[in-house]
Amino acid sequence: MHSSILVQRSVGSELRALLAMARKEWIIFRRYPSWVIAFFIWPVLSPMGYIFSARALSGPDGSALPAFSRLAGTSDYVGFVVVGSILWMWLNMTLWDVGFQLRNEQMRGTLESNWLCPVWRISILVGPNLTKIMTMLFFLTVAALEFRLFFGVQLLQGNIALLLLILFLVIPSIYGLGMAFGSLVIRFKEANAMVFLVRGIFMVFCGITYPLEVLPPWMRSIAMVLPLTYAIRDVRAVALANATYVDILPDLQKLALFALIMPLLGWLTFYFTERRARQSGALGQH
Amino acid sequence: MMNKNQLSEMSWRSHIWAILAIARKDWLYFFRYPLNALFRIVEPIIWLTPVYFLGQSFATAAGNTGFAAYAGTLDYMSFVLLGAVISSYVSAVFWGMGFSLKEEMDAGVLESNWLAPIPRPLFLVGRTLASLAITTINNAGMLFLAWLLFDFRVSGNLLAAIAILLPMLAALYGFGFAFAALVLSMREANTLVDVSNYLVSQMSGSQFPVQALPPFLLPLSLALPLTYGYDAVRGYLLNTRTLLPIQLEIVILVAFMGVMIPLGYGIFRIIERRCKALGTIGLH
Repeated sequence: MHSSILVQRSVGSELRALLAMARKEWIIFRRYPSWVIAFFIWPVLSPMGYIFSARALSGPDGSALPAFSRLAGTSDYVGFVVVGSILWMWLNMTLWDVGFQLRNEQMRGTLESNWLCPVWRISILVGPNLTKIMTMLFFLTVAALEFRLFFGVQLLQGNIALLLLILFLVIPSIYGLGMAFGSLVIRFKEANAMVFLVRGIFMVFCGITYPLEVLPPWMRSIAMVLPLTYAIRDVRAVALANATYVDILPDLQKLALFALIMPLLGWLTFYFTERRARQSGALGQH
Repeated sequence: MMNKNQLSEMSWRSHIWAILAIARKDWLYFFRYPLNALFRIVEPIIWLTPVYFLGQSFATAAGNTGFAAYAGTLDYMSFVLLGAVISSYVSAVFWGMGFSLKEEMDAGVLESNWLAPIPRPLFLVGRTLASLAITTINNAGMLFLAWLLFDFRVSGNLLAAIAILLPMLAALYGFGFAFAALVLSMREANTLVDVSNYLVSQMSGSQFPVQALPPFLLPLSLALPLTYGYDAVRGYLLNTRTLLPIQLEIVILVAFMGVMIPLGYGIFRIIERRCKALGTIGLH
């Protein structure tokens, strides 16, 4: 019997598929100049409300600042807020981007046809993330420069290598979460509500604008199982208080553990959701 | 003798039916996605929780004394919550009204709706009604949750505060007419809407007393009529120290309404005619 296959699958072909998806994402990104403009605008605007709130709370003469300083370990509330908000913004943008990746394909009616391609389906999800990671690193660099320019906050100080290590460790957690999220959106369809829920959990518990010490104990327990809590705390410690590797080692260990668990969780969620969607025939429905 | 046919008998009654039908359609659409509807109530609380804890981290034994030196009240959270209520209307105008025609354009129904025998501004009046109703329900839910979680309470004159809100809302939705037409002509306007909505809310003092703004931003804030709306509502409900005497702030809001309604309507008519002439109504 003659057995015919349409393509010869290999590691090389998977890699090409992955890069093709990354390239497609890059072309789409360049196609909408307003997205690039947003990269320059939001790092400055996003923390603005919190910074002016903190300014108002500290009082015209700064009389309430010592109370904050006692809890936060720094009186630099501008730096404190921008670190929290920039890392949260990264997560938020990832949820929208990665979360809506498959959903957008579903809405456009191209998901089913892409699914028929003779490549691992995870490549269809992971490929665009390569582009997203590159654009996000660009975003973080722009943000750091703008903070210096507009708020006088110098983030790229202290141990830069240690800062990069924290970023390197938090990337798998953020994108693993994004993958899990993107898969669940395929299942539950109401993507907006899901973004609001997930980003809201991080917003409420991770100490984006406040020191964790003001949280009640039960909220602090939840904060401790979220990787972003450690990333925010450590970037603040290194960039604003010159913490060393030894000072933040316990947090780095936890971040490393999250870096292993979260992508695995993302993959498992994707695997089961995709299988269920195929069985129920819901892949093309929206 | 020529037979004069018309598809419908146009009257003020048919206009009201059309407005109610449009509002009902938006209402149905909103509740068709129950999770999204629920999150419209929960989401402001999620946004406000970090603000609440930020307030806690600056609190001294006597409360938020630093804040009180600016605002004239120690009740920081109620100050922020009232700001959130007004901001939700601002946001409804920017996102809901701004994108109302664009959504229909994307869905491919704008051209066919445009052929209906009703004046076109009525499409936006119908959507305004639905938007006001939905936003008000959301706000009621949000304030109830805030009462449970943050001990929100008001001590001032609620009726007076609502009376101030009315001209402000009329002005806002008048502006919404112009903005909807602008988005229709621009087509890709997400960043513009997002940034404008955020800046207008923040600069008007939705989260903080505008006196805390740096000197170079304060004139910008004082030039926005909305600033006086936020300020007067808080003045009535929380007895805060207002920027101007409240009567003067009300005059500013009424003048704002007097300008924005005809201006919004006029801009809408101009852009609508332009889109028709260029034939871009069906494009997106």
